[in-house]
Amino acid sequence: MKTKRQVQKEATRLHILETAYHIYAEEGFSATTNRIARAASVSHGTIFVHFPTVENLIVCLLDDFNAEINGQLHGLSEKNEQLETFLEAHINVLIRYEAFYKRLISEVNGLPQEAKFVFINMQSVVSFHFNQVIERCKKEKTIKEIPMHIIFNSWLGLVHYYLTNSYLFTEGSVLTEYKEELICNFIKLIKK
Amino acid sequence: MKNCIACGMPMKKESDFAMGDTKKDYCVYCARPDGSMQSFEEKKQGLINFTIKTQGLEKGVAEKAVANMMSKLPAWQEYFQK
Ligand SMILES: [Zn+2]
Repeated sequence: MKTKRQVQKEATRLHILETAYHIYAEEGFSATTNRIARAASVSHGTIFVHFPTVENLIVCLLDDFNAEINGQLHGLSEKNEQLETFLEAHINVLIRYEAFYKRLISEVNGLPQEAKFVFINMQSVVSFHFNQVIERCKKEKTIKEIPMHIIFNSWLGLVHYYLTNSYLFTEGSVLTEYKEELICNFIKLIKK
Repeated sequence: MKNCIACGMPMKKESDFAMGDTKKDYCVYCARPDGSMQSFEEKKQGLINFTIKTQGLEKGVAEKAVANMMSKLPAWQEYFQK
C-alpha cells in the first residue's frame, strides 16, 4: 500500500512531466524549467525535488514517451501483418504525438548524450517490428534485395523530412494529410 | 500487462512469453532454445548486432545505446551498480 504522501508525490511528478511534454512540444527543448514550473503551477524548487537536473527531466520524459510508443506499436503489430498495415500503424502512432515528435527529431542533436541514446532505443522498437515484416517479405521475395538498415533509414528519412519541413506541405498535420501518399510510394520503391 | 525484465518488450499475448508461459518474466526473444533466459553478454551482443543490422549504427554508438537501454531493465541491474 502506498501512503497518501507517496501518491501525492507521484501525481506531482506526473503532472510536471505532462506539462513539460506540452511546453517542449510548443516551444522546443530550450524552454526553461522556470517556464515549466509556471505552466504547471508549482514552485521552481518542486521541479528539482523530482528531477535533480534539466537533463534528468528530459531523459525521464523521453523514457516515458518511449514506453508509451513501445506499448502502442506492440499492440498494433500482429503476426501476419502486411507491410502497408505496419507503416500505417507507425504513422498513426506518430500522429498522436506529432507536435512533440517533430520537436524531438528537429532538436535531438542538441540534447544531452543520454537523451540521444533514449532516442535511438525509441527507434529500435520501430525497427524491431519493421524488421519482422521485412524479413517475411524477403522470404516471400516480394521486395528488392536492400539491406534492412537502408530500408529503415529511408522510411524514417522520408517521414522525418515531411515532419521537419511540414511548412512546405501544409499548415495542418502533415502526417495525416500525406500518410497515404508516403506509404504507397515507399512500398513502390522497395517492391520487386 | 507485464514487460519483459530483460528487454522491456510489453508481453500481452501468450506467444510473447518465453515458451508461451505467462508465468515467465522474460519474453520469447530473450529466451534460449531450451527456454532459459539469455545471459547478460548474450543479450547485449544480440541487441548490439540487431541495432547495427536494422539501423546501420556505428559499433561504438550501438554499444552505448544498448548499455543505456539495458541499465534501465530489472534483469541487469547488478551489471550497472556504480
Ligand atoms: Zn525480452
